[in-house]
Amino acid sequence: MKKLLVLCMLCTSVLFAQDNYTTSGIIKDVSNGETVFGATVYLKGTTIGTLSNEYGFYSITAPEGTYNLVISYMGFTDVSQQVTLDKDQQIDFEIAESSTQLDEVIITVDESERVNLKTAQMSVTKIKVETIKKMPVVLGEVDVIKSIQMLPGITNNGEGSAGFNVRGGAVDQNLVLLDEAIIYNTSHLLGFFSIFNADAIKDIKLYKGDIPSRFGGRVSSVLDVRQKDGNSKNFNLTGGLGLISSRLAVEGPLFKSKGSFLVAGRGSYAHLFLKLADEDNSANFYDVNLKANYELNKTNKLYLSGYFGRDSFDFGSAFESSYGNLSGNLRWNHIFNDRLFSNTSLIYSKYDYDLGINALEFDWVSSIKNFNAKYDLVYYASDTFKLDFGISGIYYDFDPGAINPTTDTSSINPFQLDFKKAFEAGLYISAEHKITDKLTAQYGLRYSSFTRLGGQSMVDYENNQPVVYNEELEIYEEGTPIGETEYKKGESIKNFGNLEPRLSLAYQLNQSSSIKGSFTRIAQYIHLLSNTTSVTPLDVWTPSGKFIEPQLSNQYAVGYFKNFKNRTYSLEVEAYYKTVENRIDYIDGSNLIGNNTIETEILNGESRAYGVEFLLRKSKGRFTGMLAYTISKSEQQTLGGSAGGPGINNGDWYNTAYDRTHDFSVTGSYRLSDRWFFGTNLVFQTGRPVTYPNGQYVYEGLSIASYSDRNSDRLPAYHRLDLSATYIPKKNRDRKWQSEWVFGIYNVYNHKNAASISFGQNRETGINEATRTAIFGIVPSVTYNFKF
Amino acid sequence: MKTIIYTLAIISIITTSCTDVIEVDVQEAAPRLVIEASIDWAKGTQGNQQTIKLSMSTPYFDITETDIVTGASVKVTNDSNDVELLFEDQNNGDYTTNSFLPVINQSYTLEVVHNGETYIAHETLMPVVAIENIYQSTENGFNDEVLEVNIEFNDPIDIENFYLTKFAVVGDLIPELYDISDKFTDGNLMNIFYEREEDEDINQTEFEPGDMVDINLYGISEQYYNYMQLLISQYDTGGPFSATPVLLKGNCINPNHPDKYAYGYFRVTEVVKDTYTFQ
Repeated sequence: MKKLLVLCMLCTSVLFAQDNYTTSGIIKDVSNGETVFGATVYLKGTTIGTLSNEYGFYSITAPEGTYNLVISYMGFTDVSQQVTLDKDQQIDFEIAESSTQLDEVIITVDESERVNLKTAQMSVTKIKVETIKKMPVVLGEVDVIKSIQMLPGITNNGEGSAGFNVRGGAVDQNLVLLDEAIIYNTSHLLGFFSIFNADAIKDIKLYKGDIPSRFGGRVSSVLDVRQKDGNSKNFNLTGGLGLISSRLAVEGPLFKSKGSFLVAGRGSYAHLFLKLADEDNSANFYDVNLKANYELNKTNKLYLSGYFGRDSFDFGSAFESSYGNLSGNLRWNHIFNDRLFSNTSLIYSKYDYDLGINALEFDWVSSIKNFNAKYDLVYYASDTFKLDFGISGIYYDFDPGAINPTTDTSSINPFQLDFKKAFEAGLYISAEHKITDKLTAQYGLRYSSFTRLGGQSMVDYENNQPVVYNEELEIYEEGTPIGETEYKKGESIKNFGNLEPRLSLAYQLNQSSSIKGSFTRIAQYIHLLSNTTSVTPLDVWTPSGKFIEPQLSNQYAVGYFKNFKNRTYSLEVEAYYKTVENRIDYIDGSNLIGNNTIETEILNGESRAYGVEFLLRKSKGRFTGMLAYTISKSEQQTLGGSAGGPGINNGDWYNTAYDRTHDFSVTGSYRLSDRWFFGTNLVFQTGRPVTYPNGQYVYEGLSIASYSDRNSDRLPAYHRLDLSATYIPKKNRDRKWQSEWVFGIYNVYNHKNAASISFGQNRETGINEATRTAIFGIVPSVTYNFKF
Repeated sequence: MKTIIYTLAIISIITTSCTDVIEVDVQEAAPRLVIEASIDWAKGTQGNQQTIKLSMSTPYFDITETDIVTGASVKVTNDSNDVELLFEDQNNGDYTTNSFLPVINQSYTLEVVHNGETYIAHETLMPVVAIENIYQSTENGFNDEVLEVNIEFNDPIDIENFYLTKFAVVGDLIPELYDISDKFTDGNLMNIFYEREEDEDINQTEFEPGDMVDINLYGISEQYYNYMQLLISQYDTGGPFSATPVLLKGNCINPNHPDKYAYGYFRVTEVVKDTYTFQ
């Protein structure tokens, strides 16, 4: 009898196995209708939860029943709603910013900014724009690129140099996306300011490693920047007046709140003051961010984004130069059903650079354009399994440069470097799998392919050697051209294909700590050729092809994560080891400008970087901030290879130009009252590697220097302290006008940080001396920000 | 042209930031032999009097820029007839001769023996065209308000030509050198100008009437052009826009001990010499 009962119970439990139902929808901010990225959505009392995606979409699947569904996002009041799961349903939510701020600081660190112990994703930092706005900055200009350098593992080549370096990687190894459009040059005015207008930006996510399968094409990092959608409820005016530049952003609803728009502009005017002061040189920049969206219905939404920025320099009447990024994209979010979300994007970006030298009567123009189509899908299969898959194609059009005479009397002949075309495709599938309650994994595979297309001719070299080693003179020289091969339009010159597996695991040790490990393999097919110490606008983007191999990197990382004191503090420790095959370096004395055959100036080598990063964050209380420390090494080796000879630096390993042994930074913010906030930054870094002279001799009446091994010396250590104070005057209840004054001092103790040290003869005495160039001494600033 | 672009970039950075002279510790390399063997045949002369200078390198910040070398043997051979010409040691680092026979497009070999080491170099005497015009102006240079001296010459078409120009202001310590190729200007009338702007940091003033400039235009080989281009671009180096500086290797090799090569270069050129006085 007992046996029969047990059998019946087993049968009933099998027959009446519970059905799973899904709730999905969009999460928005009630005050302006902005979609919320990274809000935690969970069913109270269970382990079932998820995060909303870039478009605010969430999907949660659970067994039939009644639950308390909670939406939680730092700085916002939790929203909880009783949900009966007896069928698939769509519920949208609107959440409101918390008005009680007693001991909690206004949005400093977001819930998802703090460590999310459970997800397998590691090596990523998500930063809210509000955090960046509170950091003191040079000349009062809020700068996304400078702020991310406060995080461990991220540095740059000094003030006044463009781009940033992630985990000992080069500037061209970062994929920078603005609303999914590729941005080629992230700085204005040669590195003094970034192209991102903080007023138009909503979220920033930086992947230093463990790069998800949906991204590819750059080996060191992905900086995913998302613009705001625009207030869909009310018209809003935000802006700021600063010493160097000012900004204004307008946003508002469209189509009776079914859509919204945002237009933000920024421009500098220092050049006008320079003209008044009779200074011949001037530099200025401006940029415009634009976004509009329209909700066709519950399951379809269209977005249009654009960015246009321009920099121009004038050196008296001698020469002028300008450069800028332009990007536009159209996206369509389509929700197939409660579990399947898709996004289609059509993107165009262009980066161009031009230089005109009036004295020499010519101008130089170069550009890179790309057309990109992507289709990305996310399938929320169950509460333990989520699938991402998609496809992308990028068509590149490179114009490496054209020289044209500008007058009739010019002695310059017109010259056009060969146009280069290429097509890069990617196909990926990846899963986020909650294997057990404590173990989560993210695994995926990306297949990327790159085809260098014809429509040009390529030089053939004797013995297929574009560079050869001259044994007698012990230097590398151009190979001997023996002819040309013509490639027709659309014909493939060379094709590459690579499988890029990605894997990461997270194991939760207890309620407050976890360990993670990851492996990432990525291929990079386009390269920024730069043989100067810092990136200059004259540097040219070049596709892989007959003589240039794609860069291939493998990165291994392990990390330990802990939250303590009720999530007030968080600690992240990560160790990484990254190798890159096919890292190009330049032969001694290489000449890249106006060179149609750069294959004669380069050698293929490899690079490796390894280090340990520490990040301690305090996110609650009057005082919040973070402390970051990285100890690392980044080096490369370039052997002679098919060219023969020992290679660069005698074939020995040498420091890359961005190797920084110690990188220590502290950022803090203190809320004295509702009226006053204070901020501080403290930075200390080992000086970057340089090549110094080690002797001198006379030739042609000049003292000529002989040099040590490449990058075997270092600039003096870089360090500075910044302070800022923000004053928020009492808001008049009757008016909508809100404002704040930001006072800042950059480099408080006026440490002259060497941006570079040059060596040369003193023209009067003839004796050699070293001259240090420092960009910023102590710089005070005042900015007035307003919101209406 | 690359030099000019780099120079401009460096000037631009200097005008927007602060520079100051500081003490820096640098490594010290062992001294090495320097061979300044510049055999230049001035147009309109016989070219028989030539000087070769030998010296040793010194630590970078030493006030003595160079240590002279005596007791070496210096010999130049005409490769087609194997006639050897011995240069006489003047006991001050200079080795001279009065019997050099320059022949256009002829290849020569230099042999220097010093301290038991032998150094060999090869070069060919490259011709140069005449200077068509030398004149002064203000509008040609980078700055419309200061004087510059211009030289013009006709670049032979359909030949790869390389030039070195040297402008030495009488009374100045350091000459100005430009490396020029006809890559973008083949067959055209070339214009090279030398302008001086006021610069308080280096106590430099613009050109004024009465200033005298010695001008030299050398016809050089492509190998020497590569050497000089690197030498000139590295002369004022270290700025953020300069390429990583590298060891400059000339053409004087040590066949028995390749690591003990000599600095400097053995060049054989035809040169146009002139002087201009500003009005």
